[in-house]
Amino acid sequence: MARRSFFLALISLSLTVASFSGQSPFAPKVTGPLSQRVVAYQIDAKYDPDKHTVDATETITYHNLTGQRLDHFPFHLYLNGFQPGSTWVSEAHRDGNFRTSTFDNGWDDKRAGSSEITALEVEGLGDLTKAIKYIAPDDGNASDKTVIDVALPRGVEAGQDVVFKIKFKAKFPEVIARTGYKRTFLLAGQWFPKVGVWWNGAWNCHQFHAKTEFFADFGTYDVKITLPKNYIIGATGVQVADSDNGNGTKTVAFHAEDVHDFAWTADPNFVVKESTFDGSVGAVKIRLLTYNSHETSWQRYLDVMQGSMKRFDEWYGPYPYAQITVVDPPHGALEAGGMEYPTFITGDTVWWAPKGQKLLPEGVTEHEFGHQYWYAMVATNEFENAWLDEGINSYTEVKVVDSLYGKNTSVLNWLGAQMGDSAEQRSGYVGVAETDSLAKPSYQDMSFSSYGGVTYGKTATMLLTLENLVGEQVLRKALHAYFMKYRFTHPTQEDFLRTVNEVAGEDLGWYWQQAVYGTQVLDYKVRKAESTRVDWASKDAPEDKKGETLYATEILLQRVGDFIFPVTAEIKFDNGETVRERWIGVDRWKRFEYLKKAKVLSVEIDPDHQITMDRDYLNNSIAAEPQRKATQKIATYWTFLTQFFAQMLSWLT
Amino acid sequence: MADENKGLVAAGASLVWRRQRVLWWVFAVNLAIGLLGAAGARGQLNKLLEHSLAGEGLSKGFDFGMFLELIGRPNADLMRSSGSSFLFSLLFPLFMIFVAGGILAVYRDNRKFTAGDFFAASGAFFWRFVRLALFSMVPFGILAALLMGVDKLSDYVGDRSVSAQTGFYILLTGCAVVMLLVLFVRLWFDIAQVRAVVQDETKMWSNLWKALGISWRQASKLFRVYLCISGVAWVTLAAGLFLWTKLPPTATPVTFLLLEFIILMQLLTRLWQRASSVTWYQRHVASFPADAADFTTATPMELVEPASGTSDLGAEAWPAEPGVSDEPNAPVEAGNGNPAEPDKQ
Repeated sequence: MARRSFFLALISLSLTVASFSGQSPFAPKVTGPLSQRVVAYQIDAKYDPDKHTVDATETITYHNLTGQRLDHFPFHLYLNGFQPGSTWVSEAHRDGNFRTSTFDNGWDDKRAGSSEITALEVEGLGDLTKAIKYIAPDDGNASDKTVIDVALPRGVEAGQDVVFKIKFKAKFPEVIARTGYKRTFLLAGQWFPKVGVWWNGAWNCHQFHAKTEFFADFGTYDVKITLPKNYIIGATGVQVADSDNGNGTKTVAFHAEDVHDFAWTADPNFVVKESTFDGSVGAVKIRLLTYNSHETSWQRYLDVMQGSMKRFDEWYGPYPYAQITVVDPPHGALEAGGMEYPTFITGDTVWWAPKGQKLLPEGVTEHEFGHQYWYAMVATNEFENAWLDEGINSYTEVKVVDSLYGKNTSVLNWLGAQMGDSAEQRSGYVGVAETDSLAKPSYQDMSFSSYGGVTYGKTATMLLTLENLVGEQVLRKALHAYFMKYRFTHPTQEDFLRTVNEVAGEDLGWYWQQAVYGTQVLDYKVRKAESTRVDWASKDAPEDKKGETLYATEILLQRVGDFIFPVTAEIKFDNGETVRERWIGVDRWKRFEYLKKAKVLSVEIDPDHQITMDRDYLNNSIAAEPQRKATQKIATYWTFLTQFFAQMLSWLT
Repeated sequence: MADENKGLVAAGASLVWRRQRVLWWVFAVNLAIGLLGAAGARGQLNKLLEHSLAGEGLSKGFDFGMFLELIGRPNADLMRSSGSSFLFSLLFPLFMIFVAGGILAVYRDNRKFTAGDFFAASGAFFWRFVRLALFSMVPFGILAALLMGVDKLSDYVGDRSVSAQTGFYILLTGCAVVMLLVLFVRLWFDIAQVRAVVQDETKMWSNLWKALGISWRQASKLFRVYLCISGVAWVTLAAGLFLWTKLPPTATPVTFLLLEFIILMQLLTRLWQRASSVTWYQRHVASFPADAADFTTATPMELVEPASGTSDLGAEAWPAEPGVSDEPNAPVEAGNGNPAEPDKQ
């Protein structure tokens, strides 16, 4: 009953907002609710651009769908991660760097952020501000203030609502890790107190970690932001009101449904560019917030958005929202770039970005749009299974950008050099292949490079390699099924693996055990390829004669790594004959022998170059004749560079 | 003035052309250093790729992913090879310090040198040029610091500007200014080297200050000549690199020839600058004594001190000596440097 009234209230509120603004948060053919709306946030925030602070009131209506009584609630205060001694800062300092933040030169106060709850009241239970307790469930770090726990004097029964009324003050850092200001620009991410997720029978509310991201429940957001009236603003959801307050400020209201986070951005210098994507569920507005000095990238942003949305719509499922906001951060705000929030992403570019490289803005924009599927809608736990969002998204990124810009040129096709996205994903993975498994929480990974290489690169290469077994189309169908089944929920890694098994029609457990749960390294090599005359022992054997002399050819393949995977080897003979052999790859080695009037020319494992998980491509083949062209080419460049540098130095003497 | 500059540029080019053996030797040494510097990398790559098909992507195009895998391999250690390339490249400036005296002597005398003559001249000026090179570290160091300052300034201003290009334009302007200053310092030290060779100056410290005075007063003329020749170097570099991108990826021999042509042009323009400075100095400042038989260490010659107001050196120049012309194209009195004398090559 309570649940029903809760939904009625939400629907009523949605209708009120929609009728007020005439704008639905959904694409024309979509009606909500799409998710099990656990929370409803109403926030009224005032932004002070001089102090980079927000003073806000927040009402959180939480519907207890856990099936049990809840007597305490944890909340995230992510901005407190940007303080000396916090787990986030300690990990960033220890494990390498998050983008540009290493703190190697000491702590910089400009990087400090905070989130302070000044009052917390629970409807019917009174002021509980004093009941706020900082907790550190992951590492016990007493200096970390990114999670609070509020014990209620009276528990919330299953099916009942509880309403928290919070006053808080947020102070933004100079842009760092997906949030903050740069000059007049602000990206407000993770800026408000957010309730944890009741998941698998317990509260799931991790501290803010340097290597991993977020996890939250679906719900509705009604957010009013007051700021100077010359500011241009964009946010999650759709804008439903904009009123001039008559004192140099304005208040802009946004409404979003079936999302699990709310981010916004503002800058008086923004330039707005718009486009419309005609998807399978109707038109979606693409709203790009950019800058005059990035003019060369405007069309590139809009084009890659069109291309990406089309591919996702065709391959994986519809984008159901009415709008997607794309933020192009200003120069110097690198850490605000390349981030995803529901219906709101940040790209990245530089004004001089050559068209021949597709990382900026195309690659990053496609990647962040992909997160609308693998994060925003299929809302996996980014703390514990980062590969389910970042990794799967890296795989679909390869598929999308390859289809848009060419398989071998989707990252780079400039000045004679080429690189495809699969090679880029692989390059991140090969150096850290044995460090961490996908299945463990990513914030526990060895370092930032292992987090990046494993979470993004290994997942992408693991799925590209899987295409070898099940086929590209089957894997695409599996991802489509996974998306359609688990969108607007919080699936686990087992849900994903099971879906692929079901669609592929086979139990791929042996593969998952190695690729997902294990740290096995896949490496097969050609150990030997040799042709010897059959009559080698004969003292009066005639001279070699092509096409007439009989040779015994021995091919020896070896499994160097501990990852077992079936491989194909292609053997070429000097009479033009080509043979392909399949080896299941279980034993440590396999011998193939041939008796032919031809000598072996070359042997190559994985001749179609599909096993991207193979860590060492160089040992995958043996050629009888020396292959010197590549060496000569690189040596030529190397010689030139040495000469050029030498003559430059001599210019000084 | 423009005609005179043109004449000087052409005369310098002509001198480099007539004494082109110098260019070919310098180029050969540079090439040898390049080949030796790349030998380690070539060996490493050969070991990895000689019997592997993995390099096909690099020979048929330039598979950047494969290139990253190659340089990232811990057992290949191509990074160490780049260290040895760097060390080899240091040999070339040392070589150039050594032979600079010989090169300037060849240009001074404008006649064919035997190897023995050449190395004798090189050796005669070597330590003087080492001292000059050490002195040059001061102004070049100051300019390097200035460049760092420009970089910081561009960061500072760019960081506060709404426009993404502001910092870049500041850096570009700053770099251009520093580049011009570097070119001036190069001119200054080139004149000092020329003075050392033409007049057999032994006191490098005082030579340096005199050279600075000449360079400063002649900046409008000599500097334009240097700038013009540097322009040729930059244009050929840009054109060469552009052509490189247009070559088929499999055309390695042609690429090699093109890249070597680029290097040749860089070396040529540097020698061109040196030849121009020698020519100018001989025309305007110095004359050879008639009996300058020892070309390796020229007999200390009279310093031409053009009359005040009539000289290119300006009003502050030294008093004029009788019998010495300050006319730009007037033949010098006698000696191997006399342009009126037939080429003996």
